[in-house]
Amino acid sequence: MTQFLSRRFRQLVLTLLGVVTLIFFLQRLTGDPTYLLVPETATKVDIDALRQALGFDRPLWQQYLSFLGDLLRFDLGNSVVQSQPVTTIIASRLPYTLQLAFGALLVACGIGLPVGVILAMYRTHPLVRPLAALVFAAQSMPTFWSGILLIMIFAVTLGWLPPSSVGGVEHLVLPSIALGLLSMATFARITRTALLDELTRDYVRSARARGAATPYLLRRHLLRNASIPVISVGALEISNLLSGAVIVETVFAWPGLGQLTVEAILARDFMVVQGIVLLGAFVTVMLNLLADLLYSVVDPRIRLDGAGQ
Amino acid sequence: MSGNKSKWLAVVALGAALWGAAPDMSFAKQRFVIDITSEPSSLDPHKQWNNDSYFVYRNIFDNLITRSDKGEIQPEIATSWKQVSDSVTEFQIRSDVKFHDGRPLTPEDVVFSVMRIIDAKFASPQRGQFNKIIKAEVSGPNLVRLTTDGPYPALLAQLVKLSIVPKHVVEAVGDAAFNLKPVGSGPYAFTEWTKGVAVSLKRHDAYWGRKGPFETAVFRAVRDGATRVANLQAGTADLVTMLDSDLARPLRNAPRAQALTALTERVAYVRLNTSKPPFDNPQVRQAVGLAMDRAGIVEGILGGFDKPLGQMLTPAHAGYAADLPAPGYDVKRAQALVKQAGAAAQAEIELATSPVFDQRVVQAIQQMLTEIGLKVKINMSDMASYLKRAQGGLDAVPQMSFGRWSCACQDADGVLFALLHSSSGWSGYRNPVTDKLLEDARQTLDVAQRNKAYREVSRIVIEQVPLIPLYQSAAIYGASKNLQWTPTPNESLFLNRMTWKP
Repeated sequence: MTQFLSRRFRQLVLTLLGVVTLIFFLQRLTGDPTYLLVPETATKVDIDALRQALGFDRPLWQQYLSFLGDLLRFDLGNSVVQSQPVTTIIASRLPYTLQLAFGALLVACGIGLPVGVILAMYRTHPLVRPLAALVFAAQSMPTFWSGILLIMIFAVTLGWLPPSSVGGVEHLVLPSIALGLLSMATFARITRTALLDELTRDYVRSARARGAATPYLLRRHLLRNASIPVISVGALEISNLLSGAVIVETVFAWPGLGQLTVEAILARDFMVVQGIVLLGAFVTVMLNLLADLLYSVVDPRIRLDGAGQ
Repeated sequence: MSGNKSKWLAVVALGAALWGAAPDMSFAKQRFVIDITSEPSSLDPHKQWNNDSYFVYRNIFDNLITRSDKGEIQPEIATSWKQVSDSVTEFQIRSDVKFHDGRPLTPEDVVFSVMRIIDAKFASPQRGQFNKIIKAEVSGPNLVRLTTDGPYPALLAQLVKLSIVPKHVVEAVGDAAFNLKPVGSGPYAFTEWTKGVAVSLKRHDAYWGRKGPFETAVFRAVRDGATRVANLQAGTADLVTMLDSDLARPLRNAPRAQALTALTERVAYVRLNTSKPPFDNPQVRQAVGLAMDRAGIVEGILGGFDKPLGQMLTPAHAGYAADLPAPGYDVKRAQALVKQAGAAAQAEIELATSPVFDQRVVQAIQQMLTEIGLKVKINMSDMASYLKRAQGGLDAVPQMSFGRWSCACQDADGVLFALLHSSSGWSGYRNPVTDKLLEDARQTLDVAQRNKAYREVSRIVIEQVPLIPLYQSAAIYGASKNLQWTPTPNESLFLNRMTWKP
């Protein structure tokens, strides 16, 4: 286990270094943010003076080295647009992203998993096909459309829920649904496939032959055995929910990292983009690690430090 | 297990729905909610200038001078001013102004504010608008003298944007902390900034001037235009900014909301690089000018909110020449001119633009030019790349580009000098006559003489077509039916100039 973790830690550091290096140079390929900061009437002298004050006139390698130096001290620099530390900016947005991801995951799993079970267990029932169609239709709706639709129905027409922004739990409902619908079908499909796979196994046939009832079978064996693929897809979906919420956040004026990312990229706020990418890479790597650890919890046959890896 | 889970979920959803069922209607109009596009970049008025920041901090701070709703320059912190010499102006400072912390605003604060924004080390992006000022000093009781590096007729137009910050606070807390917790002397005081969400202000009851009608005001960041309109319709927002005509049209007959508009000082225009073929030929430039169906663009595409414009200045600018004839629209003549130009006009022409600008208009321009026989290819790049090329000097400036110009100063100097004078990176035109006129106008304080010079420049632009002004952009706001407010050309959002009729 220790060996496994230390190897994973080395991989983590390398991955993060690669990712920040890539994003550092990619962003700077096409210039710097100075032109976006000054008014149109600024002269070349004004612009050059500001560029120098912001440090973008230095050679790239110098900027890179000082960035890495700061990084070692956990300093992500200052936003050139907002004149504030990047860590402060990201820290203020992160909780909203987590809330939304959690809400969406609740919707996605809460509906997706039971639906997947139903689709697998009652696959001959006449209502199953329409149910499947409904689930996939919900996934196919683009969020900029379904989001506005949800707002128009539940906020403007019915007045049940606030149309946008943050506040109490009620503010979380509509964006969670809009975002959760996207992953719901994925969860349903994976659950169904995994269960169908398990149903053909010998142990199921033997158990049935012994007279075990389906609900008991489901609870004791099937769900547990089918959960491995669901966990790995779940880890991927969480990172999707964390990073892919840009449109939902925009439609619902949800102040998460997605909106911040788009704004920072458009404004060429390099330091903020670097910070977000770094965080994103870190979370993705950690989620994969967590999924690997969970495998061994649900299925003790999977050993993490075995020679098999 | 799954049954329990979905039952629990249903209860949560229902509970949440009931909880949210009562939007805050009962609070009358103590709390006024404004939905802007993004949160302010900064609340320090000497840092980043952009609409969303300005909407908010202009209510927290007083400026040295301001503009009336009609656009005339009028007193604010300075009650009067006089020209001491060609390069020195003296301002009389109000003595009854208090900052939100209770301390009085003094001439020292005014001097400090000027020196701060022109300090190269402070690195204000706005520095270029003020660095003609070389000295600021207290010259007597409640008197401040500003010295410029020569006669500077646009000084007052620029000073409209200069906010007065309290010296004692900025020096005590430092620039970074001041940006997060600004203290001003304006009609509203800062209370809270929830990052990414909203900035809250409360009324400054000891304000020296007209007081705000609302106890508190909240500026929320709502990026999507359709959502801002939905908030307005649901009653969770009272005023929303930056709508386009498609979003504004339904508001014209909405039960609770209305569209408020103002023609701004932003001008949508096409710029031709007169050093690159085929636009080195004045006939081809004239053809492009004649091909532009301004009324068609404004009525057909922009919903009639904007206004066709024949010169680069709007009626909101000092230097606008009302008597200049509008340029003609004549497709037949344009076609003939293109034919005359021969092979040079047959090559593909680049039309550079950025997604920030209205793409429907860009495509319409391409279509209009195709009609007169030019081959135009749209080249879209992100705003930073567009700007870099657009002001990169004669060689870098694209053959043809479409954009919107705003100097945020409502003065001809901020438009014509930057776009035409050969020393400016934006200029795609070389003409010693206009250069001379622009230099003279920049150096004389005689208003009539300036106006004459700018009128002549505008006339030459119509004749020589280095620039093709298309329309004066409208700023469209959505507001509750109860709000009475006149939006201004300089897109300020003064809460204390609003009234609420329940």
